[in-house]
Amino acid sequence: MATAPRTQTRAVIAELVQSPTLPVLLILAAMVIGIAALLPLVQSSGATTTAGNIQALEQEKTSWQAQLRELETQVATLGSLNRIEAEARDRLGMEPPQVTHYITVDVPPPESQKLPSRFLPNEHPKPQSESSLWKDLFGWMLP
Amino acid sequence: MTGRLAQLQIVDHPQYAEEARLSHNVEQTVTDRRGALLDRNGYPLAASEDTFDVMVERDAWKARAPGDEAVSKLTGVISVPAQQLLDQLNSTDIFEVDAARNLSFEKAEAVRKAGLDGVRLVSSSHRVYPEGNMAAQVLGFVGRDSSGLTGLEADLDSVLAGTKGSLTAERDGLGRDLAFGRREEVAPQPGADVVLTIDRYIQRLAEQELDRTVKENKASGGTIVVVQPKTGEILAMASRPTFDVTALDLSDDSKLALYRDRAITDMYEPGSVFKLVTTAAALDLGLVSPDTWWYDSGVFKASEWYVHNWDFSANGPQTVQQMLSKSLNTGAAWVAQQLGPDRFYDYVSRFGFGRPSGIGLSGDAPGRVRTPQDDGNWRDIDMATNSFGQGISVTPLQMAMAVATIANNGLAMKPQIVKETVSPAGRQSNAPQPLQQVISPASAQTLRNMMGVVVDGINKHYLDVQGYKIGGKTGTANLATADAGYKDQAYISSFVGIAPLDDPAIAVLVKIDEPQGVPWGTVVAAPAFSRLVQQTLTYLNIPPTEEALVSKLGQ
Repeated sequence: MATAPRTQTRAVIAELVQSPTLPVLLILAAMVIGIAALLPLVQSSGATTTAGNIQALEQEKTSWQAQLRELETQVATLGSLNRIEAEARDRLGMEPPQVTHYITVDVPPPESQKLPSRFLPNEHPKPQSESSLWKDLFGWMLP
Repeated sequence: MTGRLAQLQIVDHPQYAEEARLSHNVEQTVTDRRGALLDRNGYPLAASEDTFDVMVERDAWKARAPGDEAVSKLTGVISVPAQQLLDQLNSTDIFEVDAARNLSFEKAEAVRKAGLDGVRLVSSSHRVYPEGNMAAQVLGFVGRDSSGLTGLEADLDSVLAGTKGSLTAERDGLGRDLAFGRREEVAPQPGADVVLTIDRYIQRLAEQELDRTVKENKASGGTIVVVQPKTGEILAMASRPTFDVTALDLSDDSKLALYRDRAITDMYEPGSVFKLVTTAAALDLGLVSPDTWWYDSGVFKASEWYVHNWDFSANGPQTVQQMLSKSLNTGAAWVAQQLGPDRFYDYVSRFGFGRPSGIGLSGDAPGRVRTPQDDGNWRDIDMATNSFGQGISVTPLQMAMAVATIANNGLAMKPQIVKETVSPAGRQSNAPQPLQQVISPASAQTLRNMMGVVVDGINKHYLDVQGYKIGGKTGTANLATADAGYKDQAYISSFVGIAPLDDPAIAVLVKIDEPQGVPWGTVVAAPAFSRLVQQTLTYLNIPPTEEALVSKLGQ
C-alpha cells in the first residue's frame, strides 16, 4: 500500500532533477534569499544615514542658534549708551549742553526707537474695532 | 595563560568594564540659555551668548608630537601652545581634558571643520555686558559654571539659571557620537529674563556724576541712589569703589571687598540729613511748626553732656525752619527733646531704620539704632546726637527710602529692584507695595516746603536745577570707626533731595566718603545732585515750571 506513493514521489523528483528549468529556479531562489538577507543591511544603513542627517541638522541648528545669540548681543552692544555717546561726540561732533532752555512745542514727541531684540518686552497690539456684516448693515441703514 | 585570562576576565573585570563604559558612553549635564538681566525698558545689562568648550580625548592625543599636523591645526585655532596641551594630556588621569573654554562661534566652526579625531565641542555659554561695567555691584557676576556668585546673579540664580538637562550617548573609539547608538536626552529649560527697575540712562548718569565727584574731591568712595517715590522702585544705585565685571580676577582676594553692593550693605552715620526725620516726627505730632521758635544759646545740655553747633555758633531765637536751613545741631536736639525718646525712636523705626530695607538682596543691612529699650547703656545724649544723625547708623538705601517717604506724602513704599520676570511660562510682575503711612500727607507737604526753603538758601553755584523747584538737605558727618570712635579729620558729605518739589518724581541721595579739602555736603555732594537731577528730569520728560518757560521764551 505504501510503496505506490513513495514510487510516485521518486518519479516526480527524478523528473524535476532532469528538468531544464531547475537551474533557473535555483538561481531565482538564491537571488530571493540574497535580497532578503540584504534587506536588514539596507534598512540599517538607511537608519544610520538618517541618524547622521539628524545629528548634522542638530549641529546646524546649534550653529544658527549660536550665531543668532551672538548677533543679538552685537545689536545690544551697538545700542549701548557708551557707544551712542562716542558716536555722537566723535563722529557727529556733538557736545553736552551747557545751559538748558525749555520751550513748548505743539507736536507730540517722536516715538522712542527700540532695539529689535528678543530682550525687549512684547509690544501690546492695539485692539482693533471689530467689524461685522450686521454692523456694516446697521451702519448703512442708520443715519 | 589561564591565570592571566582569569585576572583579566574576573579579577580586573570591574576596572575594565568601567573604562569601557567611560570610553563608549558620554554623560553630560546640559543647560539652556541663562536669563538676561534687563533694565526697566528692556535693554540688556547682562546677557548670555553661546560659546563652546573644546574637549580632547587623552588616549587619542597623548602620543602626538608638537609638530603633528592635527596638533598644529587645533592649537592654532584655540591659541594654546602645542606643548602645553600635550603636557596637559600626558599628566591627567581623566578620559578627556578641556583644551579651551568659551570659544566663539567662529573659532568653534574652525575646529569643527578641521574634523580632528578625538576632539569634540561642548556647548557652553558666556556672560556678556552690553553696557560695560554699569551697575556691576548690583548685577554681580557668575562663575565658570554659569552659577551666580554675587549680586542679583546670585540672589536670582534659581530664576535666571532655568532647569538643567542631561545627555547620555554612545560614541566610537575616536570619540565620535555613534549615529545609531544609544542616546537619551532630557531637555533643559531656559532661564527667565529679569526686568529690573534700574533705568540704564539714569544709572549711567549717576555713575558718571559719582565718578566725577569722587575724583574732584579725592574721596575714598561714595554712593548715589535714585528712587521713584510713588512706587519705591530703584531707578539707579551706584557705589564706588567698584570692580570691572568684564575683566574679573577672582584669585585676587584683595578685591573681594569691591564686590559688595555698598548701598545696601554698608552702614554710616548720616549726619544732618537725619534732621529731616527728627523734624518729620515733631511736625506729625503737632509739637512744632516751621515757625515755632526756640532760643539757641549755642549749647544744648543733655544730662552731663553738651551739644554744639557744627560751627560753634550761638544764634539766639531761631525757628524750626531756620534750624533746618542752618543745620543747627542744638535745634535738632531741642526738637528731639520735645518728642521724648519713645516717640522719637518710634518714628525712627517707622521710617525704616534699624531693620533691613526689604529690597530682597543679600547683605541688606539693618543699620544700628540704640534705644532705651534694647540697650542698657543708652543715655540722653544718644537721642540728642541721634537727632542730627550721629551715633546712629543707616544704609544709603534706608536714607534714600526715608526721603522717598517724605516725597510720597508720608507713605513708605517697599524698595524694589526687580520689576518683572519674563519666562516661557509668562510674565510675573511685582506690584508696588505700600508699607505704612509714616507721617500724614499734610506733615509731609509741610516738610517738603521746608526742604524747598533749605535749597533756596544754598548758593546757586553749588545747587541750581534750572527750570525746576526742588527740595533737599545737606549733611556732613564724622566718619565712625569700628571701635565706636571717629576717624580724625574724616567726613561723609551727603545731600538728599526730591524733585520736582510740587509733585516729586525722584528722591535722590548723594553720599561722598572722606572728601579731601572742604568736607561740607553743600560743596561736595550738592553739585552732583544738581547735575544729576537736571538731566534726569529732562530725560523723564517732566515739564519745567511755567516761570521757567516764560523767562526762557522772553529771552
